[in-house]
This record gives sequence, C-alpha cells and structure tokens, in this order.
Amino acid sequence: MNHFAVMLTLLRDRPTFLDEIRRNIKIERKSFSLLVSSCLFFAIYGAIIGSSSSWLQAISSAIKLPALYLITLVICLPTLFFFDILFSSKLGLGQYFVLLLTTMSTISVLLFSFAPITLFFLISIHDYGFFLLLNVAIFALTGFVGVRLFYNGMQQISNHGQSLKPALSEPIPSAETTAMLDAPTERAAKRPIMATDADLPVERVAVAKKDDLYATRVRLLKFWLVLYALVGSQLGWTLRPFFGAPGETFQLFRAIEGNFYSTVFRTLWTLLGFN
Amino acid sequence: MHSRLDDLRITTHELDTITGLDISDVFMGRAVRPSVFRTPPRLLSFVVSEIMTLGLIVIFCLPASLVIAKSIPGFTDSAANTIQFLQISVGISLGIFAVWNGYLWFCSNALKTLAHLLEDVDKHNEIIDALQVLDELTAVRNSTTQLDAESTFSLDDRIGVLQALGATHESLVSGLMTERVLRKHQRSLARRHDLFTNIETNLATLQSLQLNHAANDYGHLLNDALQIGMSVRREIEQLK
Repeated sequence: MNHFAVMLTLLRDRPTFLDEIRRNIKIERKSFSLLVSSCLFFAIYGAIIGSSSSWLQAISSAIKLPALYLITLVICLPTLFFFDILFSSKLGLGQYFVLLLTTMSTISVLLFSFAPITLFFLISIHDYGFFLLLNVAIFALTGFVGVRLFYNGMQQISNHGQSLKPALSEPIPSAETTAMLDAPTERAAKRPIMATDADLPVERVAVAKKDDLYATRVRLLKFWLVLYALVGSQLGWTLRPFFGAPGETFQLFRAIEGNFYSTVFRTLWTLLGFN
Repeated sequence: MHSRLDDLRITTHELDTITGLDISDVFMGRAVRPSVFRTPPRLLSFVVSEIMTLGLIVIFCLPASLVIAKSIPGFTDSAANTIQFLQISVGISLGIFAVWNGYLWFCSNALKTLAHLLEDVDKHNEIIDALQVLDELTAVRNSTTQLDAESTFSLDDRIGVLQALGATHESLVSGLMTERVLRKHQRSLARRHDLFTNIETNLATLQSLQLNHAANDYGHLLNDALQIGMSVRREIEQLK
C-alpha cells in the first residue's frame, strides 16, 4: 500500500516531490513505488481495452500497455540524460529515471481515471472504429498532460540555483555578454556607450552564461519530447494489437505494415463517411 | 513524559540520515534485512515485493522480446512459434529475477553488521513502547488509588530506565555511525576510536544501572537495554 502513498504524494504535492528528486532523497524507493503503481494502472486500462475483443487479448493488453510506456522510457532515457549533462546538468541517471517515471505515473493515473468512461462506451457502443478513435484521443490527451507536467517539472528543477537571476534589474543580451568574455576588444569597439568590461560584475556574466545553458537545455528538452512521442507511437504500432479487431482470432502480434499516423487518419476518414 | 520517550526513540528518518541508506522494515538500501525471515508480517511484505519485482520484469521482458522476435526472419504467428517465444521470454525473465535476487543476497552479506545493529534499534524501540504502556498503566493505577510509597518508588525506577535508554540510544547512534564510517571511509581511524570510546562509556553506565535496579519491576527493561549495549559493542569489536 505504501507504493500508492508515494504516487499520491506525487499527485498532491508535485513541487515537493520534484524537489526531493533534485536532492536525491529516497530515489530507489520512489522508482519502485512509481513503477509498481503506474504499471498496475496501465495494466487495468490495458485489460479494459483488450476486453473489447477477448479475454486472451485482455491479458495480452494488460501486459503490453505498461510495457509500451516502460520500454519507451528506457529507450529515450539515455538521450535525455547525456544531452542534459552535456549542458551542465547535475542530476544523475537515477534522478532522470524517476523524473520520467513521474510522467509515466501521471499518464497512468489519468488513463485510470478515464477507465469508467472507456468501459461505458465499450458496453454501450459496439463500433470498433469509434472505440479505437476514442482511445487514441484519450491516449493523446493523457500523454499531452503528462508530458506538459514533465516539461514544467524539468524547468522547475533546471531553474533551481538560478537565484541570482532576479538580482539583474537591467536586461543583458545573454549571447552578447557571453561573447564579450571571449572577444572583449572587438566587442568593446562595437559598443558605443556603457561601462567597460572591467566594470561588468562577474556574477552577471556567470548568470548570463547560465541563462544560455538553460535556454539550450530547454530547446533540447522540447526536441526530446518530440522524440519521445515518436518513439512511443512507433513502439505502440510495433506492439499492436492492443484492441483486437472484431471477428478476428486472438493474435499476440501482427506483421509490421504501414504506420500509426496513416492508420489513425484512415480510420477517422472512414468514420466520417468519406470512404 | 511521553515527549522524553519520543526523543529516545530512533526514528526511520534518523536511521536514514545516520546510515546514509534508505531503511525500512524489509530493506536497508538494496539489501534485505535478515529479520524479515523471522517476522511473519515483514516476510509477507518481502514476498509481495518479490512478486511485484517479478511482475515488472515480465512486463518489461515479454514485450521487449516480442519486438526483437518480430524482426527475426521466419518468426510467424503460429502456435508453435508463440509457445516457443513465451517459453524463452519467461525463461529470460526468471533468469533476470534470479540474478537480481543474487545481487540482493550479495548486498545483504556486505551489510551484516548494520543488520544486527538495526535489530538492536528495533529492540530499543520496543522497550520504549513497553515503557509507554507501563506509564499508561501506572497513570490508571494512580488515578484509582492514592499516591503511596510504592508509586514513589516506581518513579525513581523510571528515571533509571530513562537513563539506561539514553545510554542505549547514544550507543546505538555511535554504533551506526561507526558502521557507516567504516563502510564508507575505511581509513577514518581517529573518528572510529572516538565513537568506540563513547560506546564503552555508555556500556559501563548501563552495567551500573543494571546492578542498582536488578531487583524491581523495571529490572527486565534495564536488562534488555544492557543486552542491546553489549550487542552494539560486540558488533563494533568485530568491525575493529
């Protein structure tokens, strides 16, 4: 039961939870608890969507859905970690792992909260295409919210230690200031007014450099999030079926054909009556 | 009175700080506490934790193997292929689970001294629990009868027990710190000597208290505290 308490702490007091991750407090216990609780929630939702076909499909989806998020995390973790430490991040691999697990946990809880709605539509509407698209929408929405919270959390953690920032009342173009350090004479010639380089407080230059690094890390994070979405959707396509098409016998896997986006587009097209 | 007892209690938070590990009823860091196998509720927690670990490994391995297997030429959706795939995947999962448990066992062996000290901490906290119960019983008895010579006598004994528990608390903290120092910085001999001297002094205090109060109601609590003190010294001597 303690595992769910950790999950509840994350949901109720996210800033404190993230701060504990930053300070490396009980990382292993947090990892295990978040893994256990999120996998359970994913498994329940997976079983519901799989039950639209058969009980074998329900078991299969209950294993596949947690694996989809877990394997995506494992595939994308090294990219995030190594790119971030390249730009002065002080966090360890374990801390990044837990940070990603917070995303996974948030998505799992949101999916779990959608479970009654999915179950209702599963019972009341027997339309495979509609059910498929409804779930794509739910997955997209929960994924977006989870990733958004992860993005905010990463910014909160990256922003920590930039306490000097508010002390800067005058705006300094960060790229210019950094360049001034490298080529002071050339820059000074281009600057008609203001103080000399010697007057420039060391702290300001340090903060400007830090700002540059921070901006780079934010750009990298945005790039990584796109990568995460691409890997996730492709892996989902590779691991299908999650739903099980009507009238077909149980399949553990299907041959790789087409891609995720073209299939969603085709289903939507058919549902709207254009085919 | 209770706040003084609570001060003497060694909390999980304190243990985490002193040992530098995440201490729970079942685990100390990644290692399994040996007391798990002697206490049924803890054993149940451990078994549940093992089942969850195996579940997580299966959840990860099965679909990951599926992704790899799909890229192998000739791998089809036939029943024979599926059964063979499941057998291999479950076999790999069980193999990883066995390796993980071997690693846990290795970690537990490296932290034997800490495990013994943690058992002493549990005993120390149990004595405090017992004393709290005794306090409550005394309060009930005093509310029903007038204060007499006997209850005044037990108040003196209580002070003795508190002194003993204070010494035990210090010994345990010193023991845990010594263990951490030795575990993390093998060369810090000077610090180790100071901590060991502290443990010796506390043990002497415990022995004198035990002699003074051996014959009364609190005697067994003092005896328990003395046993803890001696156990701490024994563990630290082994480390020397």
